[in-house]
Amino acid sequence: MTRRIVSLVGAAALTVSVAVYAQNVVKIGQIEAQTGTLATYGWMGHQGALLAVDEINRAGGFRVGSKTYKLELISPDTRANPQEALIQLKQLLEQQKVRYVFGPFLTNVFNGIEPYATQNNGKFLMLGGATAIHAMLGKPNHDYLIRTWNWDAGASGFGQLLVDYLKKQGAQKTAMLFQNDAFGKVAVDIYSPIFKQAGIDLKIELFEPGTKDFSAPLAKLSAGQTDFLFPGYTDAVLYDIVRQATEGGLFKRFFLVRGSMAPGQKNQDLIDDYIAYLPKYFEEAEKKEPKVKAFITAYKAFYKQDFPYDQAPLCSSSCYDHVYMLVDAMKRAGTVDDVAKVKKQLLSMTYNGLWNIRFDSTGEAVFDFDVLHMRKGRAISVTRINPK
Amino acid sequence: MWQLIVGQLLNGAIVGTLYGIVALGVTLTFGITGIVNFALGVFMMLGAYAAWYFADTVGLPYPLAVLTAVVVTSFAGLVADQALFRFTRNNLVNGLLVSIGMIAVMESSALLIWTSTPKEMHHVLPGVFAFFGLVVPKMKLVVFGLLLAVIFATYAALTKTWSGRAAYAYAQNAEAAALMGVPTSRLQTGVVAYSTGLAGLAGALYASLYSLEPTLGSLFILKAVEAAILAGIGSVAGALLGGIILGVTEGVGSIYLPLAFRDAYGLVFLVVILLFKPSGLFAGRR
Amino acid sequence: MKQGIWIAVVATALCVLPLVFNSDVALTILVFSYLQGMLAVSFNLIFGFTGQLSMFHAAAFGIAAYATHLFMQHLGVAYWSATVLAAALVAAVSVVVGAICFRFRLREFYFAVVTLAFSEMARLTVLNWNSLTNGSLGINLQEKPPLWLPGTGIVKLESTLAWYYLSLVALGATLLVCGRMVHSWMGRCFAAIRMNDELGDTLGINVFRYKLTAFVVGNMMAAVAGSLYAYFLGSLEPGFLSIDQSLGIVAMVLLGGRSVVAAPVVGAFVLTTLPHLIHFSAEIRSIVYGAILIFTILVMPQGIYGGLWQIMRRRHAA
Repeated sequence: MTRRIVSLVGAAALTVSVAVYAQNVVKIGQIEAQTGTLATYGWMGHQGALLAVDEINRAGGFRVGSKTYKLELISPDTRANPQEALIQLKQLLEQQKVRYVFGPFLTNVFNGIEPYATQNNGKFLMLGGATAIHAMLGKPNHDYLIRTWNWDAGASGFGQLLVDYLKKQGAQKTAMLFQNDAFGKVAVDIYSPIFKQAGIDLKIELFEPGTKDFSAPLAKLSAGQTDFLFPGYTDAVLYDIVRQATEGGLFKRFFLVRGSMAPGQKNQDLIDDYIAYLPKYFEEAEKKEPKVKAFITAYKAFYKQDFPYDQAPLCSSSCYDHVYMLVDAMKRAGTVDDVAKVKKQLLSMTYNGLWNIRFDSTGEAVFDFDVLHMRKGRAISVTRINPK
Repeated sequence: MWQLIVGQLLNGAIVGTLYGIVALGVTLTFGITGIVNFALGVFMMLGAYAAWYFADTVGLPYPLAVLTAVVVTSFAGLVADQALFRFTRNNLVNGLLVSIGMIAVMESSALLIWTSTPKEMHHVLPGVFAFFGLVVPKMKLVVFGLLLAVIFATYAALTKTWSGRAAYAYAQNAEAAALMGVPTSRLQTGVVAYSTGLAGLAGALYASLYSLEPTLGSLFILKAVEAAILAGIGSVAGALLGGIILGVTEGVGSIYLPLAFRDAYGLVFLVVILLFKPSGLFAGRR
Repeated sequence: MKQGIWIAVVATALCVLPLVFNSDVALTILVFSYLQGMLAVSFNLIFGFTGQLSMFHAAAFGIAAYATHLFMQHLGVAYWSATVLAAALVAAVSVVVGAICFRFRLREFYFAVVTLAFSEMARLTVLNWNSLTNGSLGINLQEKPPLWLPGTGIVKLESTLAWYYLSLVALGATLLVCGRMVHSWMGRCFAAIRMNDELGDTLGINVFRYKLTAFVVGNMMAAVAGSLYAYFLGSLEPGFLSIDQSLGIVAMVLLGGRSVVAAPVVGAFVLTTLPHLIHFSAEIRSIVYGAILIFTILVMPQGIYGGLWQIMRRRHAA
């Protein structure tokens, strides 16, 4: 598999910044971790965005006003290091004159670049999925921020809906086993009150990221008639947690707010219920939605690889659709430079691509999602929910 | 409650043998080449991915896949030794830097080839043994038995065969051994290849139990080095015991104390031991 | 003195640099290089000169970063006072850790492991003490340190240019302190300890005291670097105390050279700038990085600085 080498002629960062205005090219910068343990988000974001950029360019670009523009994606790797990300963002904004930045997904990266980004408020737009962005939306001098991942809590949040569904399954005592990291902490903060309100007892255990053997926490949690296990949020841990939990017969019912179906399916013979929130269940959607099918076909043709069904749901954030949305917004606003106008358009439109996406008034994404329920016997029921 | 503890003792012992076999590789390498080879972690990763590849993609039966993985890793170790480690004999610091470099290169290569998407091998031996309320996955027991067998075989080879005893002699007094006709450089290369083979075996067996990512070696090697130090670098049986002690400490510690600190328990135990018996628990013994 | 002329030339060049290279990106990279340079030089005091491979350096860096913020937040002190307090805190912690390690006479490798253990404990504490440190979410730092400038009075450090000069001065101060220590009688004790500490003991050198001094002073300088770094970046995260950070410091020193006080700065500079000069895909960049490390150690074990010195000496001799 070859990654497209997207780079500029790398004159050292020490050269005097010369403004090189490539005519009629709109550059999109992408600040994500492409390597390291948390690289899945950045990886999928990059795969999707690059595909979209290529498609648009091969179709001849897009017209805004009297000019035709092409896109260019510049994707440095932050390696999840805020220092790297800060330098990269500065390079993007000052040397490449980028106005649209996708990412970051990682909170620690966002925290590192936020002061500089805020200093440059008004000069660019940042469409990222980081948890920490949520708290910054709508704050003064933060107009550059748009959050592309939906939020579990709140009026349009899906967490409440999922827990309601769980309650209907008769859950009384649930065990939460999450990573002890940024999102894990937020997840505990969000879900504790929701579970309490629903009257479901919640036992919480946090584990160090990188753990592979969960026999201790699983044994601890399963003592005491816990009916559901609510495990951590990345496939990397889900494969192991679900396998170890079902192997020993410790848990038969699972509830997930992140991750793919694959861990459940691998152990399906031992599972009674596997309820998962998935931005989209691609295996099913491929059969029913023509746009999804087209996307999968295009992906395979472009990358000459199998389609990553289990990572694809991550393309709901700062990915394929969002490139098209951006182009649409630029067309409607009649400008590629005036970011305020472009943002205004983004916040007032609903885009129907792989997902139906719109942004609420603060700039946070709301999109349709699936609730998957795999019951004993492998039948999977998919409920598509469109938040208001 | 006691079930929880016994269960964790057992599990800790099994996980500990995985630490132990890599610790064995660490201790052998240190004794014969004078460096702590942190890169054994990436060789373990290589073994794991190789086993997965041969078992799932090529379709070999699992035992054959494991063997092939071990051969591949040993060969890679041989090449690495001739190209790189050969120049860092007895130089701890240089060995460390070369290891860091190798880790960066190999992890990134793995990432390039297999991406960070976790891979899970088909379940080779599903099912558990249940007795007295305890539950142990069958495959874990198989891995346990296999690793113990290999470790004891290594011990036997070191004490009974000519090359094994040559290695011991060399570790104790390099000059004298050379004078007695021990082919030093071949011995050193051999030990490096053997250690990487052990790491590869650990990885290949790991693949049957857990999901794979390119970074799986990093955490493991740290534990393995801890185990080797705990027991006393240079002690073969100690490597195994050190691994088991570490595994058990982590497991049992996690029951009573917050799980998030799991990695710390082994470290604290190690520090305490080192302060009072710096040569390790089993130093001096074989 | 020839060395003095060299220092003056380099110092002037660096001071004048921003006037030539006006790019914010370049200056940012340099600020990071200088701060990492402080870390590398202070680490080298412990490692290169006294011969102790400490894995606690990143912890000193991270603890001070968090402590500065926390002192400002909970005690209401101003930035510079907080930095001093943070350095004092790190010094205290270092005395405890160092005393434990050196009292028990841990040999080189075991010393590394024990300092690593302490470093991990510090990291896990920062990670899990949510009420104090916000755990894995990290903390966004809103304040900017104030600086008194002649003429303008108190100015908030916001521009990269101001940070450039501040970090340059800080690096200079670090080099000065280390240089004085190394070229003094204390430095000769360090060297003796590095070469053979048992022998030093029989010669009457209080090995324990000198090892501890090097350890504490080195960590204190790392503390100041940490405080500056956090406020330049604008955020705190538990990753500051990670093993990767410690290994990065070791790599900088090994790359730059161990024998001269200023040599590690070269390593810091190369490793900070390098990722931004190579515009390849992420993995290829990591591969190149690893290859460079391997190449340096096999071909130039004295580091870049040492290697260049050797080349220059050969030219002179010829």
